[in-house]
Amino acid sequence: MSLVLCLLGVLALFILISARIIAARFTGRHDLARQKLLPVLLSGDPQHLEKVSGGELAVAANLTIELAEMTRGSERDILIIRATALGIPDLLLRRMRSWSAQKRLSAAEAITLFDNCSELACKALDDRNRDVRLGVAMALAQKGAAPEPLALIEKLGVGQQESSLLLVSLMADLAGKNSEAVAALLFERSLPYETKVAAMDALANLGGEYAPLLAYMARESAGEPELQPRVYRALGRTGHPAGAEAIIDGLSSVEWTVRASAAEAAGNAGLSQAVRHLGELLRDPVYFVRYRASMALLKLGPRGIAILREASSSEDPVVRTVATKMLVEGRAT
Amino acid sequence: MNGISIYDPSAWMVASAEAIAAVVIVTGILQTAFNFVLLLYAAAALGSRPPVPRSATLWRRYSEQAPAISVLAPAFNEELTIVESTRSLLALQYPDFEVIVINDGSNDGTLARLIAEFNLEQVDRYVDRSVDHAEIRGFYASPRLPRLLVVDKINGGKADALNAGINCSRTELFCAIDADSLLEPDALLRVVRPFVDNPHLTIAAGGTIRIANGCKVDSGRITDIKLPRNFLALVQIVEYLRAFLMARVGLGKMQALTVISGAFGLFRRRHVVAVGGYSHGTVGEDMELVLKLHRLMREQKRDYRIEFIAEPVCWTECPDSLSVLGRQRARWQRGALECFVKHKDMLFNPRYGRIGMIGFGQILLVDVLGPLLEVMGYVLVPLLWALGLLAFPWLLAFLAVTFTLGIFLSMATLVLEELQLRRFPKARELAVLAGIAVVENFGYRQISNLWRMQGWWQFIRRQQGWGTMTRKGFSAS
Repeated sequence: MSLVLCLLGVLALFILISARIIAARFTGRHDLARQKLLPVLLSGDPQHLEKVSGGELAVAANLTIELAEMTRGSERDILIIRATALGIPDLLLRRMRSWSAQKRLSAAEAITLFDNCSELACKALDDRNRDVRLGVAMALAQKGAAPEPLALIEKLGVGQQESSLLLVSLMADLAGKNSEAVAALLFERSLPYETKVAAMDALANLGGEYAPLLAYMARESAGEPELQPRVYRALGRTGHPAGAEAIIDGLSSVEWTVRASAAEAAGNAGLSQAVRHLGELLRDPVYFVRYRASMALLKLGPRGIAILREASSSEDPVVRTVATKMLVEGRAT
Repeated sequence: MNGISIYDPSAWMVASAEAIAAVVIVTGILQTAFNFVLLLYAAAALGSRPPVPRSATLWRRYSEQAPAISVLAPAFNEELTIVESTRSLLALQYPDFEVIVINDGSNDGTLARLIAEFNLEQVDRYVDRSVDHAEIRGFYASPRLPRLLVVDKINGGKADALNAGINCSRTELFCAIDADSLLEPDALLRVVRPFVDNPHLTIAAGGTIRIANGCKVDSGRITDIKLPRNFLALVQIVEYLRAFLMARVGLGKMQALTVISGAFGLFRRRHVVAVGGYSHGTVGEDMELVLKLHRLMREQKRDYRIEFIAEPVCWTECPDSLSVLGRQRARWQRGALECFVKHKDMLFNPRYGRIGMIGFGQILLVDVLGPLLEVMGYVLVPLLWALGLLAFPWLLAFLAVTFTLGIFLSMATLVLEELQLRRFPKARELAVLAGIAVVENFGYRQISNLWRMQGWWQFIRRQQGWGTMTRKGFSAS
């Protein structure tokens, strides 16, 4: 039995080595095809291009995917027109049925680049592999061809199967097209908290318009110590005064991760009314809270620096050290 | 006891011989069976891993959400390579990272070379004091290179230096590496994936270590993957492939990973601080850290994940002389035993779930009992057969378990490598490694077990210290 297994192992490796040797013979052809197709994809006249097939088609498809990652705007548009003329969408559609998740994702992402193929790409949102689903959702959102956010969230299984930070990138693209629809997710009672935090993260990048909502969420997320810091950081990024009260509340949270992120938010939002609270955090038992609070004080300018200077002569050695060293680091001595 | 007369000494001898042989063979079969399970899990893990083939794709997908990382590189007497190593670290492709080089009391020109080469000046820095380490003498930085911080401290060993690095880092994640290893440019982007995909659960992730002997190195990067000519280095390539592509990928999939190599691992800082950082006074500090993390999370009844990712690669130079390799293996054995004894209460303890049952079971079977029983088998089984106390089929069974299944596992790992990763550019290299996978069973494997027995002996004698680890440097490749 063991001998049979051993022989099977050797045989399998022998087959793979043989396959490698055979494939190496085609490397020359592959290179030639690349050399021939690269100028065609970069500068060929779409009117005069004809469909390619077999190995050349595979090479052309891979080249298209590589080039599409390096190009944008009109340059990418014309690349896609040429790739269409060469018959690449058909191959990508076949690849979308591959057993390999890697091939399916790569093909589904690429197919979203082609006009009239977005519906076909949407089918990949039902793929059995969560990475394929998320990748396609992101590609569709980037192109502005994604389904409604709510439908998308359901397909991705956010909260059950999906908790990736990549949801923030997805939400940012969705919000770029329709921020109202993304903001509406925050009011859906049935949605998991992760969806809402990702939506908030994305909305925070759009400015202060959603700050009151974020402030409400910061308070409501008190029982979620893993998620609440993200809400505070998002709130800080808006820089809107509507978040001030919530941030100051966060500075006295029982969770150190929340206190640290609230301190960071206070600095980023330029919350000068938080200087006293931040000064008190210089004696926090956790290093990161002290560090974030002192950084925030430095960011807040003269008022914050005055608090640090005062603290640098404190009798408490912890407070004195953090204040003195951070003043030196910030060159504000 | 049926059929054995208590007054017949020869019957007793035969029965004892058979019992010893049975223990050796059964343990061998158990080990092999466990390896088969690992292999299946590894194949499943590699086959279903998220598809991120190219660096450009990886950057497009992950760069916006990738959390900041501090790369901690402890350095002791690395005057010859430190500048090149630091340059290669600064050139990593990652959106937000800092490199903290910790000069662990070198008595050569390591610090002076860093200062001169990067125009560093002494600065002050507010650092944490959560984990213990020897005194820091100073910090060096330059406004021209805001990503680089050099910490100069009194010598305290690798664990101590890493603890100093942890205290100096200000990011959510830190990556511990060996300063004399080379990280692939996209290694951080690849290893951070579980922290992006499962941000609330992932507390640590390890990457693959590969042997750089024979490879061409230019400006701190591997430019041409080639096999070394030295037999010992070749054998270690097969060993590393087996250890990483089979054992660690498999154990990672089972969520029973007990070690993340000290040469390359990514950790969530706050959990490492919660367990007190790296332990002093052990040579298995990397394994112990992972065990402490498991213990913490299990005792607090928290969901967590410790992952192993096959794609990110850290290249390292392996010993190519018997004496240095022997010292290294004895040290590894000692480290595993120290960790096992320190955390023995986790063994088969249902409170620790998979890590107690599978992870510790694997340590017991492979690291604790493995060398003892295999050496016992090599000595006793042929001896008993020669004395006519053991039937020929028993001897054959022992040899079959030892050699054929060993060869199968190595071959299967090479198949996995070729199907899933394809890191070796030419077929010839695979063929050479296949040959090595067979040859290593006859001689090298036995010597390796003797080294591990040496580690056992050192452990029993409570011998401390690392022993000299001579490196030739990548430029010699």
